[in-house]
Amino acid sequence: MEAVLKNVASAVELLAVAAHSDAVSQWDEQTLSRAFQWAGYCEHVYTRFHTNSAIRRVVEKQLQHTNATLRDAFADYNEVSFMDLPRCEHLLLRALLNNPQLPISTIRILFGLKNGTSRRYHYQEVTGLCSHLIQCKSACEVLCPFSGLSTVSAEAEVQGEMLMKRLGALLSQGSDPSQAEHFLHSSLPLCEGAARHSCLVITAALLTASDSAGQTSSQSFLLDWLQKEHGVLQHMGSTLPSAVLKDLAGAHRKFRDAYFGTLKKWASEMEYSLSDGEWVPACTAAAPALSFPKMVEHFSDLFDACPSLRRNAEDELLHLKILDGDFDARGLSVWGDILSEVKK
Amino acid sequence: MTELQQPLSQLQETSGPLLDAQKMQFWMDKAVAWDQVGSAQTLKDISRHLRGLTDFLQQVLTQISNTGSTAETMKELPCLGQILGRLCWNPYVTVGDTNRGLLLQCLLGLYSENPSNALERKANQWIRKVLCRLATEDDDPAAQILMKSTGVPPKEYHLRVLKKMVKQHQENIEKTCCSKKSIDQRCSCDVILTTSEVFVPLLDCPEASPVICSLLQRPGTSFTDALSEDFLDALNSTDLRLAVDETALVSVWYHSLPRLEEAVLDLLEFATSTGSAPQNLEQHISKTQLPKACAHHCSMFLVVNDIFRSILKQAEGNLAVHSVIQTFTRCFLKELEELQPRTAASLKAFFPQSPTSLLVPLLTLPSEMPQEAWKNHLEWLTASLQRLAEQEEEEEGDSQSSRLRERKACGEGHHNVFETWFLLVQCSHWVQVAGELLVTSEAEPCSNLLWLMTFYYHPTNRWHCRAALLEEAKEAWRHLRTLSSASVRPLPTDHLQPLITLLSLKPQRPSAPLLTLSLMVYCAIFCQLPHSQSVEIFQTVVHAAGLLHEAACVLNSLQHRLNEGSCSSRDTVHVRIKKLQSTVTHMQAGVNPHTPHNRRMGSGDGLSKESWKRSAQEKKRQLGASEPGSSNRRGLACLVSTRSQANFPACHHKWTI
Repeated sequence: MEAVLKNVASAVELLAVAAHSDAVSQWDEQTLSRAFQWAGYCEHVYTRFHTNSAIRRVVEKQLQHTNATLRDAFADYNEVSFMDLPRCEHLLLRALLNNPQLPISTIRILFGLKNGTSRRYHYQEVTGLCSHLIQCKSACEVLCPFSGLSTVSAEAEVQGEMLMKRLGALLSQGSDPSQAEHFLHSSLPLCEGAARHSCLVITAALLTASDSAGQTSSQSFLLDWLQKEHGVLQHMGSTLPSAVLKDLAGAHRKFRDAYFGTLKKWASEMEYSLSDGEWVPACTAAAPALSFPKMVEHFSDLFDACPSLRRNAEDELLHLKILDGDFDARGLSVWGDILSEVKK
Repeated sequence: MTELQQPLSQLQETSGPLLDAQKMQFWMDKAVAWDQVGSAQTLKDISRHLRGLTDFLQQVLTQISNTGSTAETMKELPCLGQILGRLCWNPYVTVGDTNRGLLLQCLLGLYSENPSNALERKANQWIRKVLCRLATEDDDPAAQILMKSTGVPPKEYHLRVLKKMVKQHQENIEKTCCSKKSIDQRCSCDVILTTSEVFVPLLDCPEASPVICSLLQRPGTSFTDALSEDFLDALNSTDLRLAVDETALVSVWYHSLPRLEEAVLDLLEFATSTGSAPQNLEQHISKTQLPKACAHHCSMFLVVNDIFRSILKQAEGNLAVHSVIQTFTRCFLKELEELQPRTAASLKAFFPQSPTSLLVPLLTLPSEMPQEAWKNHLEWLTASLQRLAEQEEEEEGDSQSSRLRERKACGEGHHNVFETWFLLVQCSHWVQVAGELLVTSEAEPCSNLLWLMTFYYHPTNRWHCRAALLEEAKEAWRHLRTLSSASVRPLPTDHLQPLITLLSLKPQRPSAPLLTLSLMVYCAIFCQLPHSQSVEIFQTVVHAAGLLHEAACVLNSLQHRLNEGSCSSRDTVHVRIKKLQSTVTHMQAGVNPHTPHNRRMGSGDGLSKESWKRSAQEKKRQLGASEPGSSNRRGLACLVSTRSQANFPACHHKWTI
């Protein structure tokens, strides 16, 4: 373990040198290659130990120590955390390319094209590293507009996988569930613009068929989290196409129930506007909100997707209507109006 | 050696005319227009111009390399910075290996190691910034957050996304295509067309090869091709980086005539450029998948033979070419055998221009009939060939012949004799048998066997020389007979001199050195002399005549044929052949390739890919098939029949009177 900690410290120091020092002007191809090997070592350390919270703590402590030293040595030093370890190669590359002292000959190596028959990109091979990276990014951009081939886009699918994998790792450590919740919070922001993206990722994560017990428990955790986070569900309800929502409701009972709950909450926040002659969301209602017709559509879709829900749900809505006075006239009870629309 | 370290001379060779202001403006406009990527129109425009862009970038790179300083380059090519800057951020340009490589080289070429003014310093800064951003920036903040929190590096992320996208496209293709039961029915061609349009820029991106292979391998006929024109054009001209497996390779050839030509020419180059005749020729040919592809697609076989015909006409007397054609045909027939029983009708489809009566007799292998029947078979073959040749020569002589006029009008001319001879080259095994029988048969009258061999090496009767050549062949034969039965040992060298004389080319009169050489080889192998003696004679004569390469060719062809048979009596023959081969190899090793001793017969120049490409382009112009994509649209079969009737360039002067 001592050796590992020492190596990690050295690697982090190397990163700092790559970013800030003019020593890089002396780097030749071999040095460059070795530097990337060190980065690879860090990634390996992460892969080995990220599920082991005890070792993780020890490594984090070492990193703190190293960070402190380097902060004193270099003016605008960026700290390296444990979660930065698996992305060491990227950090190294960014550090090098931002260092004005990096000689052009080194840049040539990084941007050169790999020659010859072996197109399989070897781990830690330095020649053509950047060129290949650019190719992958460009290819994704070229194919992106056509990724509506399946329910979820390829990017959402990959991101969903990433999310689930990390969640699974956190859960398997037997650590405090709040850590996993914190992870979900930070990974799936709901602010402007990010909300739609987060919804897509969650959808992808939930729609991927689960092929292991670990994955099922991760999905279950995510669903529990969703139930607590009405905000997320509301975003999902308002931004996702109904077909997708139907799929989700059909695939996961928890989602179905949570979603039904959200729809009811939305409905309860509606007011009847005499001037419009229609139910509208109250001004105090939390955004996003649905229009009445939209909401009815959602209810219908949900019942279509889950026939088993329909009977009980209709009973529930009827009960609520009765509580409101059991009037049949329009505009007096949102529940009655929903019911009558849905039964059409 | 990476592309960046390509020698300067290579770059200079590819420089076209200097870039003028008009061209720069053209590409500037294109770069600006392409920035608004999003519409299908723009995508089409980009796909159409990718090849032109490659040429342009190549020219820019050459100019950068030739001009001393960046400041000067920027002066000569004013909007260069803007053009490069815009192109860098266009994913359709940066996705392909070729254009991306050139673009990066241009940028790196503009970097000044020792900047001498403000402009160069600024350029340096800009270049560094652009490169850094290209490699490390990500403009999807949400994805970045997720990458950070899950510990996935950008490289891995993008690769995974790319693979998934490719997989989705592939599943999409398979889903829409498998739903159709009948092959005749066109499967959902919109999907194929759209997908092929999308993947045009990705032809030289290796990760995209599963989809490209799927696109190429859908069942269907060539005439109802749903692949987009741009895709097919790009297939012809892009440097493909497909992870190509066997079936995909065949599909590429099927859809792209230039690719097929390239593959055949590569094969010919391999066979003719190695120092000695390659002994594993059969293996090499099989490995190329060409025979198998031809067995599956008749049209491909016709094209390949077309190329062979043309090469034969340009490279007369080159035994290596004969070897390739013979070995190829043999491999092809083996593959065909696996697919379908050999009937005269099915064979006719593959050999439409060969005389029907000779087709089956020539294609039958000697191993397929009893040895006793060989002589009669050869007699019959020779008689038919003689008849054919004489008939045609009569008609040529009788210029009033209406039949001849008719044939000439159709561009046939010496058609029949040439086609017959071509078939004979493809089935050289009978010529070899003739040689063997000449040596081993006791009976003296074998003039028809000699005629066959003379015809094989000298098919044209230019200046009515065949009679003279036959005489020379008989003379050579007499010498050889004497030598092999002589009882005086060791032979005085002047006995060998007439033979050596026969083996040299004589400018004044028609000569048959190759014929003599092959007779000598057959003698050395099959005669009754003790082997060591025949080897000695062989060695002396061949060394003096300097025909090592040709001797090796003859030996190798013979060995290939005999490998087919499995008679035990062949073992001694095999040993003899091997001994002679090693002797030749030994001699070749000892001889400097530049001394006159190792002269090579036959024109090897005509075989270079460049000369073929030039003549092929010439032919295409004559046929008016110069529009992009039109050659593909016509389908291979169409093109073949048109080409075989066209006038070949003047190299084949021997075939006109």
